[in-house]
Amino acid sequence: MSFLNYLRVWLACARYSTVRTMMFRFDFIMWSLVELFWMTVNILLVSVIYRHTREIAGWTQYQMLLLVGTSMIMQRLMMGLFWSNLFELGRNIRTGQFDFFLAQPGNPLFMVSTRKLDLDGLLNVLVAVSVVAYSAHQLGLHPGFGDIVTYILLILCGLIIEYGTLLLIVSLTFWIVGSQGIEGSYFTLFEFSRLPKEAFRGASNVIFVWLLPVVLVSNVPSKSIMHGVDARYVLWLLGVTLLWLLIGTTVFRRGLRRYASASS
Amino acid sequence: MLAALDKYRHAFLVGLQSGLVYRWNFAVRSVFSFIHLAYAFILWGAAFAGQSAIGGFDLRQTLTYFITMLVLQFFISAFNEDYQISEDIRNGLINQFLLKPINYFLYRISVFAAARLVSGLLALIPFVLLLPFLWKYLSFPVDGWRYLLAVPALAMAALIQFTIAYCFGMLSFWFLEIQSFIILSFAIETMLGGQVFPLDLMPPLLYQISKYLPYYYQMYFPTAIITGRLDQATALSGLLLQAVWLVALLGLAELLWRRGLRRHTAVGG
Repeated sequence: MSFLNYLRVWLACARYSTVRTMMFRFDFIMWSLVELFWMTVNILLVSVIYRHTREIAGWTQYQMLLLVGTSMIMQRLMMGLFWSNLFELGRNIRTGQFDFFLAQPGNPLFMVSTRKLDLDGLLNVLVAVSVVAYSAHQLGLHPGFGDIVTYILLILCGLIIEYGTLLLIVSLTFWIVGSQGIEGSYFTLFEFSRLPKEAFRGASNVIFVWLLPVVLVSNVPSKSIMHGVDARYVLWLLGVTLLWLLIGTTVFRRGLRRYASASS
Repeated sequence: MLAALDKYRHAFLVGLQSGLVYRWNFAVRSVFSFIHLAYAFILWGAAFAGQSAIGGFDLRQTLTYFITMLVLQFFISAFNEDYQISEDIRNGLINQFLLKPINYFLYRISVFAAARLVSGLLALIPFVLLLPFLWKYLSFPVDGWRYLLAVPALAMAALIQFTIAYCFGMLSFWFLEIQSFIILSFAIETMLGGQVFPLDLMPPLLYQISKYLPYYYQMYFPTAIITGRLDQATALSGLLLQAVWLVALLGLAELLWRRGLRRHTAVGG
């Protein structure tokens, strides 16, 4: 299939998801509320801690809020675009329903990852963006066009890293069938993306900042919009993006070769 | 009377067995929780840099709060009881309870008690393994009354958690899909139960309001008694309010059960 065909498939899926959402309006409202509430919890945590302290690892309240907002943009994009699809991938591998995707005339990874859009997640991206915009306003930042484009590109890198990580986690199902609930580790890991890099010391610095990409995904874009681009970090993030996408897709492909359908 | 209790003893034993079947799920869950603890250590460690106290407590006392809550959670929290109950209703499994002389609530709570015994003991394993590292962060008050009052506070907290989950499960009589309700309430419980931050660090007005909500008594209240965040008078009056909430929730659970059964139609056999 050509690129144009894939685009048409994706648009068809988007249309289908929209129609579905319209049919289950109550669900849409409830899920939007759920996500909104989780974001509020994170914002409240920041405001509660800053009632008692002026800085966390050298970050002021609005710098921290900007970081949390940035992390939320990525997570909401993940929820809106990929979470349900990859979550269902795990379930389908266990049940054998995955056969259905293999039978489709297209790249299995593309077919699996783009079947559904969650409009509630995408709607809440706007909320996360306004948290970032509000923090930037409070910090007196006036980013130029170039800064905003860089920030968006860095967020996209973060999205790819998160996608690669979740794909890696879910693909483990090919080997360990009884791994229900393992998808939740995505949330546990990326919780660290709401913390400033400077808060990590010693072993935690090695593990969460350098070995795992979970801290830099949010710290690099946030710092670039606050203090300007630091080429070293940006290059590192680009490298890490390619690496995690490669790891995720490689493990998925290896798993695909192992996949022998379920008893059916 | 004894024969009546015997039924629930069997339910408890069945619960123990199924709890052991799900030991890997609990193990995975406790690993996640300890990773989350690392998050709390890093965040609060950085917040305490340059000052000795936040809200009147030092870093060790604050971390003790999070560690205590984490361990207690595996003994008293309702995890997926709401889903199980919802499944029972949707699959028609509750029909057999309508025909037999066994109370569904008591049956479920026996299974819940067994499951928490298993998950609590399993969570102690990583805790003991990490103890050499955690030891230097633990700082518990020495007042004997705290541990005495913690017993009823923990027991009622567990009952409140279970009863809230039970009520959410009952919603399956009215709604096909209750997952979003459950996750929304989970988010509210996580925050107002004090799992994100100790509630006493909130602005005083909000803290006062939270005291009158049931969530306060789910996790925060027993943990705060044990870790020295409440004085004796507050703890005693808290126990009273906790009991009031428990009775109210039990009443609600019974009401939902009765109303729900009126709507329920047993299909098939």
